[in-house]
Amino acid sequence: MFDRRLVFHINWGLLTLTAILFLVGVMNLYSASTLRMASGLELDAYFNKQLLWGGVGLCVMTAVVLVDYRHLKSVSWPFFILCLLLLLGVVVAGKTIYGAKRWLDLGFFNLQPTELTKIAVLILGARLMTRMEGRLGWVSLGKILLVGLVPAAFVVKQPDLGSALNILLILGGMILFKGVTSSVFKVLAVVIPVMLPFGWFFLHDYQKQRILTFLDPGNDPLGAGYHIIQSQIAIGSGGFWGKGFLEGTQSQLRFLPEKHTDFAFAVFGEEWGFFGAMVLLILFCSFLYQVYIVTMEAKDDFGSYLAAGVFFYFFWQILINIGMVLGIMPVVGIPLPFISYGGSASVVNFCMIGLVMNVAMRRFVFKKG
Amino acid sequence: MGAFNTPERPQVFSGPPLLLVLVVILFCIFGIRLWYLQIYKHDFYLGRAQENRTRQSTMFSPRGIIRDRTGLLLAENTPAYALALVREDCPDIPGTLDQISRWTGQPRDDLQKAFEIGRKRVKHFDEQVIVPNIPFELVALVEAHRQDWPGLAIAVRPKRSYAYDETLAHVLGYVARANEEELNNDPDLQLGDNVGKQGVELMLERMLRGTKGLEEFEVDASGRVLSSRVVSSPVMGEDLDLSISLSLQEVATKALNDRAGSVVAMDADTGEVLALVSLPSYDPNEFVVGISHAKWKELLDDPLHPLQNRPVQSTYPPGSIFKLAVGALGLESGTVTPAKTVFCSGKYTLGQRDFRCWNKGGHGVVDFKKSLRESCDVYYYQLGEQLGVEAISDFSVKCGFGVRTGIELPHERTGNMPTPEWKFKRFGEKWQRGETLNYSIGQGFTLTTPLQAARFVAALVNGGKILRPTLLLSEEPDVQGELPMSPAVRKLVVDAMVATVEEERGTARILRRPGLRIGGKTGTAQVVKLMDKYEKKKTHEIPYKYRDHAWMVSFGEKDGKRFVVVSMVEHGGHGSSDAGPVAGAVLDALLGVQTEGGQEG
Repeated sequence: MFDRRLVFHINWGLLTLTAILFLVGVMNLYSASTLRMASGLELDAYFNKQLLWGGVGLCVMTAVVLVDYRHLKSVSWPFFILCLLLLLGVVVAGKTIYGAKRWLDLGFFNLQPTELTKIAVLILGARLMTRMEGRLGWVSLGKILLVGLVPAAFVVKQPDLGSALNILLILGGMILFKGVTSSVFKVLAVVIPVMLPFGWFFLHDYQKQRILTFLDPGNDPLGAGYHIIQSQIAIGSGGFWGKGFLEGTQSQLRFLPEKHTDFAFAVFGEEWGFFGAMVLLILFCSFLYQVYIVTMEAKDDFGSYLAAGVFFYFFWQILINIGMVLGIMPVVGIPLPFISYGGSASVVNFCMIGLVMNVAMRRFVFKKG
Repeated sequence: MGAFNTPERPQVFSGPPLLLVLVVILFCIFGIRLWYLQIYKHDFYLGRAQENRTRQSTMFSPRGIIRDRTGLLLAENTPAYALALVREDCPDIPGTLDQISRWTGQPRDDLQKAFEIGRKRVKHFDEQVIVPNIPFELVALVEAHRQDWPGLAIAVRPKRSYAYDETLAHVLGYVARANEEELNNDPDLQLGDNVGKQGVELMLERMLRGTKGLEEFEVDASGRVLSSRVVSSPVMGEDLDLSISLSLQEVATKALNDRAGSVVAMDADTGEVLALVSLPSYDPNEFVVGISHAKWKELLDDPLHPLQNRPVQSTYPPGSIFKLAVGALGLESGTVTPAKTVFCSGKYTLGQRDFRCWNKGGHGVVDFKKSLRESCDVYYYQLGEQLGVEAISDFSVKCGFGVRTGIELPHERTGNMPTPEWKFKRFGEKWQRGETLNYSIGQGFTLTTPLQAARFVAALVNGGKILRPTLLLSEEPDVQGELPMSPAVRKLVVDAMVATVEEERGTARILRRPGLRIGGKTGTAQVVKLMDKYEKKKTHEIPYKYRDHAWMVSFGEKDGKRFVVVSMVEHGGHGSSDAGPVAGAVLDALLGVQTEGGQEG
């Protein structure tokens, strides 16, 4: 099944960038896990766990790379339906942690079907688009949107607005990548901005509060605005060269909330300064550029769409997370790939990279049938 | 060979080029934003981060304590508890103020006002005192409910305590909460601080207060202290050793026997004030804890003015004690000689008007010594007439009358030695010749304070040095000037004072203590020109406010030490019979005379 010649076509650039980003993330997490107490430094467990999850991710990535991506076409529907069933299972028998019902207790570990759903939606979307000729008209668009909206509806109920948004944005990005007919484009260009304010009424109070706070953080500096203000203080106080590794006062003294997850980039910005933050930004952009290259060089449309889906999977998270940390986007619980701590997210990240590498490796393979 | 190279597909906003555009946009937006936050606004955010993690707190410096000359504690510091609020830690300030109001029974509006005033001056993470000086039971109650009221704190502040209540109020004064004006004028003061408001507490504030220290803490987000360092150490206020003798002060207070008046006892050779009594008095402790409005009004409305520090803040005509100065001038200027006599028939006629001697029968032939011993008015009418008003004023000012003493007490009054120019400026009237006669016996416009009188008598007996009276122990004597008279004249005056005590018919015979050298001079200062209807009445038959002030200036010597005692009883009647026993009691204590009470100085 595995052709040895494929090894020569491994996208080393993507692999290297992934490794660097992961290691930067682990290093930053070491700092973010450190608390300075009166008695000295204390280390939380996040740092070790992330390394463990990285190992798991690497295995998953290898597994994903081994199987020719073209086989995914045939399993896309069953996989998608399985995910829907799991989501239904969460609704019926999910485990509630911190007031959110997101997990299925499988005995040995808690499965979060939402993460699997992201992959399933991506693959099914790519498959459906492959069948569609030219730009998307109304009918095709409707079909593809349905693939995102149904699972997103389940996820919103959990509630997990961040993931639902993520699913829809991945699909939305792929739709833009595929292109829509000019009539669809014109209508959407008018309707979406008009509909957006109506979305306000579907938001929870705390979500409305976040948007209001984003518009005016000073309004409630100790409540909802606290995250935004403290995050900008952390970043801004870093200056050009930063305060140095383990020297960030905002993070070490816990003024920065969620510093190992959503606001991990702020820890990095505080300790490594403008210089470090720009290096990290360039790493992310190079990483995205590598995925962009794969969408161009893919052997077939399916591969190209898959890679585009992965591009948007990472792109939106980077945009929303760093945007939030820098105070130019509202606070939404979306982590920064490789930098934020998160077990499931790490595994999915590696899985996604596996998909792209899979496509990249097989760009010269002749069709078998 | 890509999937998008077919000719009908190429488009800018879909396909791979879209991705490239998005990456470039991402890079630009974040690059610019990072530059803005980390370079352009770096200083601002660095300051905010610093502010986040450092807290400062004041290290209070205890105020210097005050002791009497024997080391007895007169003013000390005791810990006092105050209810305070840390705004940063208090999620529900109105609710907390409600609760404070319930606990203390203070009106909610007052607390709100205190809070609003304070919040401008106290940093949001510092303790802001809302209710000072709460009783211990309330401290216990609040401590028991602390966890229900985050942000509420019990602040411990040193509180001034005066051990002898009213006895020393006019010497020590008191401290009380600094007011708006004091806070504005003195950057070292913080809201809730006490400052000296009266007495030596006010005058020696700089010395007593000390300097506050500053401690800086590094804290984490939940306010836990990680490290601290002392930025500046607090410096304790200097302790004060007063020249006052508490026991003498008590003797003098008791001797005044609840009458309004003053007693000053002074070491003639050093200027050290041993007792300084002003009655009625008040309790300085009430001001420290914040005097109630009713009590304050009561003090202000009291017709006897308990807040008035009489020895330095009240001026009176000196009456016959002024004859000491006028007589000295007579001798010094050669206008009279000790042997020169005047015949007193009981009155002196100037133009159409008769000026009476207090002794209506007349003193007969009066020489210098007799003029003082028996306080003959006619002798001084004639002498004054010869000397003239300007000469008397000039001389008495040089003797220290009508000149502030400079003692360490606030709001000292000057007094007045009148001149024709002064009268014309003041009243627009010419000086009358008859006024010079009144002036010669210490009546009329002339005004002095008991302390000025004490300084003058001290100079008479200490060799002519005019010393600044001081309340501080072991200070180098501060010589303000020389008495404007030769030693011979000085001796004649002092001897006359001794004769006034020792010899028969002497007006200060009440001070006579066998075996001790004591001198004195009485004075009776008219409050108003006695109206005819009161003229023949005894003192107790005249309404209080029209009664004369009674003076006694005296000195006593023992074992080479010379003490001056001045007593002054307001509206007391007669110098000898009313002020005399007061000075006598103080002299007894000073000179170690055994009295019935068995007190010893």
